[in-house]
Amino acid sequence: MNGITLTRLPFSAKVFCTLFLFGIGLGCLAAFAQAATAIGLSYDDVVASLAPETPMTHLGHGQFSAEREIDIGQLSSTAKVWIRTPLLIQTSHTHLFGQTLIAGLLGLILLLSSRGEWTKAAILALPFVGTMLDIGGMWLTRFVWQPFAVLVLVGGSTFALGYCLIAAIAFYELWLKREEHV
Amino acid sequence: MKSARVSMGLIVGLALIIGVDVSLAHITPPVVLVSERDAVLGMTGGSTRFFVREVRLTSDERDVIERQWGWRPEDEVYRFYLGRDEAGQLVAAVTFLTEYTIHGPVRVAVGIGPDGKIKGAHVVELTEETYPWLKPLLDQDFTQDYIGRDSRASFGLGERVRRASPESMPQFYAQIVASLIQRGAILFDVAILKRGGGKA
Repeated sequence: MNGITLTRLPFSAKVFCTLFLFGIGLGCLAAFAQAATAIGLSYDDVVASLAPETPMTHLGHGQFSAEREIDIGQLSSTAKVWIRTPLLIQTSHTHLFGQTLIAGLLGLILLLSSRGEWTKAAILALPFVGTMLDIGGMWLTRFVWQPFAVLVLVGGSTFALGYCLIAAIAFYELWLKREEHV
Repeated sequence: MKSARVSMGLIVGLALIIGVDVSLAHITPPVVLVSERDAVLGMTGGSTRFFVREVRLTSDERDVIERQWGWRPEDEVYRFYLGRDEAGQLVAAVTFLTEYTIHGPVRVAVGIGPDGKIKGAHVVELTEETYPWLKPLLDQDFTQDYIGRDSRASFGLGERVRRASPESMPQFYAQIVASLIQRGAILFDVAILKRGGGKA
């Protein structure tokens, strides 16, 4: 980018980029642990946390009461988080702002890479696309169709893949690649 | 070198924005204290069979509740878990109610006897932000103060609660919990008792 590449950055800028990428990596690990413990990482876990509460009786429209016997084992024995709409709104706005800004900063670092334009465009798009799939998938699962839960898993993985690729390229070019003299 | 300085300025600026955004608008992780099954089993002791009853309030019932108690139920359907004995008599009903506050949701399980009186109540979910405010009161089982009260009773905070946590936030959240317990009694009163009781 205008002759400025990761390889040519001053030492202080290299330290900044490295520490930023390292910090975001730790943040990703913490987010992964939070998702694994509070929600779970499987398709079924995502559906259970995000899908609308399904009726346990056949209470139809126009009916005011319905009852049926249940096995107490049908009730969840684990203390699980169920993401209701107000929490989904809160999660969406914080994650859309936060993840998009992180994706933007990761993209800025990648822009300074000496990789080809198409490669950079494809890789820097991953965290943005992942964020949109992730949050969009949550809303679609809740309000449109439960199988959209797969988008939450795909979105999270796409964001992580984008981060890993950008971090790997950046670390290589910051510290290992020799500057090319034209 | 000028472009490099601009690029670095951009990077630092964005980093600061992220930091501010994360610190101001962080999500407060939920704290789940009790599972649904444990809450139901804990407040329906003596039951041998369990039923789920889902009720939809009529607009008249919603109006009555709003007039009498100053709270308008907005949910489409309310769910009660009913525990019955071998003879089919209602032992207790349990319902789960949630209030969404600026610091996150507070969810309470309310156990109600066949006479409409509170048999027990447990805070089942809150957030990491609200938990420290309520923990001293939860440790003292302050929800047990409401056992034996029905929908028409007072659900204000007792002297014990005021003495234990005189600060405003614990009392604010204790009052929210107390209101949710009263709402459980109100819903049972209107949607179960006044409609003919908890008979199967």
